[in-house]
Amino acid sequence: MVDDLPGKHWTEPDGLHIDVRGLAPPEPMVAILGQLEQPDQTGPVTVHHDREPIYLYPELAQRGWHHQIIPTEPGEVRLSLTLTK
Amino acid sequence: MSMPGAFLGGAKNRLLPASLPFRFFVAAAIFHILAWLVLFAGAADLSGFVGGSGAILAALHLLTLGVFALTAIGASYQLLPIATRQPLSRTWPARASFWVIMPGIPVLVFGMIDGGAMALTVGGVLVSLGLLVFAVLTADNLRRATSMPIVAAHGWGALLALLGVIVIGLALILDFDLGFLGDHQGMALLHMGLAVFGFMGLLVLGFSQVLIPMFVLSRALPPRYGWTHLGLTIAGLLAFGIGIALGDQRVITVAGVIGFLAGGVYVWLMRNALKSSMRKRLGDSFVLIKASWVFLLLGLLIGFGLVAGMDIPNGAALFGFVVLVGWMLSFLMGILQRIIPFLASMHVEGKSGRPPLLSDLTPAMPLKIHLICHFSAFALCSIGIVLDIDLAVQIGALVGFAGAVAFATFVAIVIRKLTSTAD
Repeated sequence: MVDDLPGKHWTEPDGLHIDVRGLAPPEPMVAILGQLEQPDQTGPVTVHHDREPIYLYPELAQRGWHHQIIPTEPGEVRLSLTLTK
Repeated sequence: MSMPGAFLGGAKNRLLPASLPFRFFVAAAIFHILAWLVLFAGAADLSGFVGGSGAILAALHLLTLGVFALTAIGASYQLLPIATRQPLSRTWPARASFWVIMPGIPVLVFGMIDGGAMALTVGGVLVSLGLLVFAVLTADNLRRATSMPIVAAHGWGALLALLGVIVIGLALILDFDLGFLGDHQGMALLHMGLAVFGFMGLLVLGFSQVLIPMFVLSRALPPRYGWTHLGLTIAGLLAFGIGIALGDQRVITVAGVIGFLAGGVYVWLMRNALKSSMRKRLGDSFVLIKASWVFLLLGLLIGFGLVAGMDIPNGAALFGFVVLVGWMLSFLMGILQRIIPFLASMHVEGKSGRPPLLSDLTPAMPLKIHLICHFSAFALCSIGIVLDIDLAVQIGALVGFAGAVAFATFVAIVIRKLTSTAD
């Protein structure tokens, strides 16, 4: 099921990474929320995006996830997501 | 500005001040109430309505201009920059468009009830000016679009249809006095077809490509089907226009077939989005949205039956009611109850420094009351039209009015939460 999600994902020592750069709406949201809704997913999760996903924030808050933009290279918006509930 | 800050700035350009889209939504909620009230007043004329001035024409325009167009314009100003990745070039014309259209609608509608040429002309010009400002702003945004070509193409189609709606609408108003149109009723039909299936229909079809998968959390829809229903819709509208111009019933029948195929492709595409949905519960908004798709097909079937010469009791009025209230109003009410809390959530931070929860911004009771009233009103009025029972239409309109009040209450509650949380 996770493999059906759009975008790329991999695991590093700091947790799951999801790369949704280049995807058209609403695929980034589908990819991110699809990963977060996996039963064993408790974060932290790093998202690599090409724009700030303003429509994602209400959905993250509804699911108890906190987001923070972290500095990165030009052309990328990187978000750190942590579960708060 | 730091790099994250720069991106934040870009996002904020795409996110308009809350007051901008919300003023359109509040006005739409108020015109929704007025539409049912005016329908109640003119209930005796609904079943046999085939055009002409009076309360039914007024109720029709309260719905199409007051509810549909204002909702579409408010949503487009906010959602189009997200889809095209381009901010609105300026926000003051968007505000100005509201302050021209909004007072123009009651003036126009008063003229339709009263039959006064001055009110019709002043209202028509004001509404047309506001719509033209919207068209120019939207065209400018679509011209700069760097993504979502399928949404942009639907947008261009909708704008072309809107220009046709404005020109024919103004011609119809002048024709009340001057009588220069050879076929006033035919032009009125074309005006309605372009408004509902062209302008509003293409906006709905285009935004559905993004909004429905976003709401149900499904994969992006295959664009080739989107291009197919765009092509079919445009072909159907062109055939309809040619059929009206030539007075050729066969061409109009072909337009009906093409229109039904366009609706079928769209509904099939939406059904596929639902089938691959990752959300288990879609809520009451999707009861409205799913029902709207059924009513779209039903409306197109009735329309096709009419042009094919079938004897449907009060078929013209039934067709209009099923398409306008069953399809378009159901769909927009379903979408509005999703995007109003969504937009509100993005504009405020709660005491915790995080956005308020969507569930906290969505009062369930008024929406439940609206849902029940909306479908009851639809059923009662439809029965009233088919069986020619004015009392059923009157009761239906009152029930619809109650539902519209409940919906306006929902909008008011969200705005109160928005302003109190922002404080």
